[in-house]
Amino acid sequence: MEHHPIIEVKGLQKYFGAFEAVKDVNFTVNKGDVFGFLGPNGAGKSTTMRCMLSLIKPNAGQIRLFGKDLQTERNTILARVGSIVEKPDFYKYLSAQKNLEIFARISGASVDKRSILATLDFVGLAGREKDKVGGFSHGMRQRLGIAQTLLHQPDLIVLDEPTTGLDPQGIIEVRDLILRLKNEQLKTVILSSHQLAEIELVANRMVIINRGQTVIEGTVADLMNAQQTLLNIEFSQESSAAAAQVIAQRFPGSEVQVVSPKTLQLQLEKQHIASLNSHLVNAGFEIVALEPKRKLEDFFIQMTQS
Amino acid sequence: MKITLLFAFVFSFFTFLAQDANQIVKAVRLKLELVNDYTVDIHVKAQVPMIKIDEVDAKIYYKQPNLMKVESKGIAILPKQGMGELNAFLTNEKAYTCALNGTKMIGDVKTAVVSVLPLTENSDVILVKLWIDTQRDLILKSQITSKSNGTLDVDYFYGDQAKYGLPYKMVFTIDVKKFKLPKSVAADLHQNKKKNNAKDGPQTGTIVMQMRNYKVNQGIPNSKFKSN
Amino acid sequence: MLWKNTYNEFIKILAKPRSYIGLAALTLLIVIILFAMKADGKMYISFVTASFEQTLSFNGNVLNGNLIAFIILQMLIVHIPLLVALVTGDLLSGEAAMGTLRMLLTKPISRTQVVLSKLIAAAVYTLILVLWMGFLALLVGRWVFGTGDLIVLNSDGLVILNYTDVLWRYGLAFLVAYLALMTISTLSLAFSAFADNSIGPIVSTMAVIILFTIIGSLDVSVFDTIKPWLFTTHMASWRSFFNDPVPWSAIYKSIWILLAHIILFVSVAIFKFQRKDITS
Repeated sequence: MEHHPIIEVKGLQKYFGAFEAVKDVNFTVNKGDVFGFLGPNGAGKSTTMRCMLSLIKPNAGQIRLFGKDLQTERNTILARVGSIVEKPDFYKYLSAQKNLEIFARISGASVDKRSILATLDFVGLAGREKDKVGGFSHGMRQRLGIAQTLLHQPDLIVLDEPTTGLDPQGIIEVRDLILRLKNEQLKTVILSSHQLAEIELVANRMVIINRGQTVIEGTVADLMNAQQTLLNIEFSQESSAAAAQVIAQRFPGSEVQVVSPKTLQLQLEKQHIASLNSHLVNAGFEIVALEPKRKLEDFFIQMTQS
Repeated sequence: MKITLLFAFVFSFFTFLAQDANQIVKAVRLKLELVNDYTVDIHVKAQVPMIKIDEVDAKIYYKQPNLMKVESKGIAILPKQGMGELNAFLTNEKAYTCALNGTKMIGDVKTAVVSVLPLTENSDVILVKLWIDTQRDLILKSQITSKSNGTLDVDYFYGDQAKYGLPYKMVFTIDVKKFKLPKSVAADLHQNKKKNNAKDGPQTGTIVMQMRNYKVNQGIPNSKFKSN
Repeated sequence: MLWKNTYNEFIKILAKPRSYIGLAALTLLIVIILFAMKADGKMYISFVTASFEQTLSFNGNVLNGNLIAFIILQMLIVHIPLLVALVTGDLLSGEAAMGTLRMLLTKPISRTQVVLSKLIAAAVYTLILVLWMGFLALLVGRWVFGTGDLIVLNSDGLVILNYTDVLWRYGLAFLVAYLALMTISTLSLAFSAFADNSIGPIVSTMAVIILFTIIGSLDVSVFDTIKPWLFTTHMASWRSFFNDPVPWSAIYKSIWILLAHIILFVSVAIFKFQRKDITS
C-alpha cells in the first residue's frame, strides 16, 4: 500500500493551566489505515483527538491532515472528516432523522431523505428515523453517532473511545462497523482506546502514548508479534552476574540486565529460548523460573504502571 | 354739566342700591331657568401646568336641574366645577344668602359684585362671588372658592344665546397648587431631576372653552345621561 | 454555511419546549392585565390622575386600548428580559451542556459563524416576542377597549396624545424596546459563550440587569457619572416617544448606547468562543 499521510501530528503540546495534558505526541496515520490510538486513561488521548478536530487549541506542535495545516485550513479539512468525540450527543428533543439532517446540513452533505435513511440502514437503525433520540439506548446513540460521521462521505473517520459504555453485543457491533468502514467504504479510521485488545482486533497500525508522550508507534503486527521477547530468569542461588556473562558470550546483543543477585532480564528471539535454557543448565546454573514476557500487553501494562 | 354728571351718578347709585342682591341673583337664576336643556359643540383649549394636551372638540348635553354629560372622542379636560354646578347651586334659593359688594367695571360694562354664601354647613363651596351685568342679567365673571379645589375663576362672554344666559366662550382660571404626581409611576428617563410638583412653576392654569351650535330646549331624553 | 446553520438554529429553537415558555408567559400575563383592566381599570387611572381630579374632570374614553398597551409595555419590559434570556442564554452553553457543541464544532463551520447564526436566531426569536407582545397589547387591547387618546404620566406631568398621533409612536417605541431586548439577548449570548451550563448565563444576565437597575435608581452622586452609560438606563427609552415634544436627541443617544452594547457583547461572545477549548 502506498503511504500517503492522512494525519501528521508533530511535537503536540497542550497545557490546561499548570497541568501538562499533552507534552510531546507524534504519530502519522496513512491512507487506508485503521489506526489505533492507545493509552491509559489520562494519557492525553482525548486532548490529542480534540486538538486534531480543532476543539482544543494546542500550545505547540503541528497538526496536518490531508497534507494541510489544521490551523489555516480548518474548514477544508473538517469537511473531509467525520468524528465522534467522547460519546455522540444529539438533540434529544429531535428525531434521529432531524438530528442527522442538522449535522448533514453543516457538514456540507446533501440533506435528502434517501441518503439519510440509507445511512441509518447502514448502522442498523432502519425504521427508527422518526423516534426522538432522547429515547435511544447508549448503543443506538453510538450507532447513530457513526451514521453522523458518514453523512458527508468523509475520507477520514475519527472515533474517540467508540466502545466505552457499550455491552459486549454493542462492542461487537461497533467493531464490526469499523471493519466494514475500512473494507466496504475504504475509509481511513483512527480510533482511540485504553484497551489493547480493542485495538489489536481492528487496527493495522497504532501508537501508544503515556503521560502525554508518544511511547511507541508501528504496525500492530510488528508490535504484537515481535520475535524479540523479554525474558525473566530467576536462579536458585545468587548467580545472576555470572550467568549474565555466559549469556552475553553465547548471545551477543541480547542486552542482559542484572535485576537482582538472583534474577536477570534479557531480550531474546523466541526460537533461541530453548537453547539458552539448556546452555545455562549445562553451565551449572540452577534455574527456578524462566518467564517470557512476550506480549505487548505486558509491555503496555508495565509501561502504564510505571 | 357738572350737575348733570353728578345727578347721573347719584341716580344710578340709588337705582343700584334699590335692587336687593337677592333680586339680582334671582333675575339671573330666572333667566337660566329658561333653559330646560341644551346641547352645544365645544372646543377646549387647556393650558394647565404639568398637563400637555392638544385642543379638543367635544359635545355637551345639559338638562335641568343638574344633568350634564360631556361626549368626546378624545380626552377632554374640563374644570370639575363651574359648569352645571353653579347653575345647580343657584337653583336652590334656600341654600344660600346674597350680599352686595359694590360695583366693578368689566370692560365697559358696569357689574354688580355679589357674594353668595352657602347656608348649609357641610357644603364644599365656601364662597361664590359673581360679577353680574344687571342690565342684561348675565354673569360676566364668577369666582368659586371651595374646600377641595381652591379658587376657580371663570370669565363669560356672551353672543347670540345671551337671552338664555348661555355664553359662547368661557375662560376658566384654575388653581394648580394641589397638583402632585405620584412618584412611583413617574419613572420616565430623560426628565428625571426636574420639578415634581407645581410649586416651582406657575400656580394657575387656564382652560378656554368655546361653544358653537347651541340647541336649546329641544328635549333630551334622560337616558342620554346614563353613563355607559 | 452561516445560513445553513441559522436554519438549523431555527429548527432547534422551534423544537425546544422552553422557547414557548416565553410566548405562553407573555400571553398569560397580557390576558391577566387585560382582564384586570377590564374589571378595575378605573382605579388604576384614578391613581394616576387623583391629584388632578379634584379640580379637573377627564372626559372621554380614558381607559382605551392605547393606554392599555402602554400599561402593558411598561409592566412587562421588566420581565421580558428573563423570557428572552431563558432562550438566548442557553444557545451556546446549552449545547455545551448537552454535548452537541462537540459535534457542532467538529463540522466545517467556523466558530464565528456558529455565534453569528445563533445571534440571528436570537434576534428573530426576540423579534417574535416583541411582535407578539405588540400584537396582544395593542391590537387585542384596542379590540377590547377601543381606541382613544393616550394619557401618559411622565415625571414632569401628564401628556395627553391624540389618538391619531399614537400609532407611529408605538411603532418606534417597539423598535427601541426591541433594541433594548437585543442588548439583553447579546449579553446572555456573551455569558453563554463562557459557560458550560444553561442556568449560569440566565442567572448572570438577570443579576447584571438587577445590579445595573439598582445602581441606576440609587440617588447617589457617586454613580452619576456611570449612570448614563449603563444599558439598563436606556432600556426605558421607548417611553420617550410618548413625550411631547419627543426628545429626539436623547433617544438617538440611547439608541447609540444600546447599539454599542450589542456590538460589544457580540464581540465578547465571538472573541471568547473562538478561543474556547471545548472540554465538555
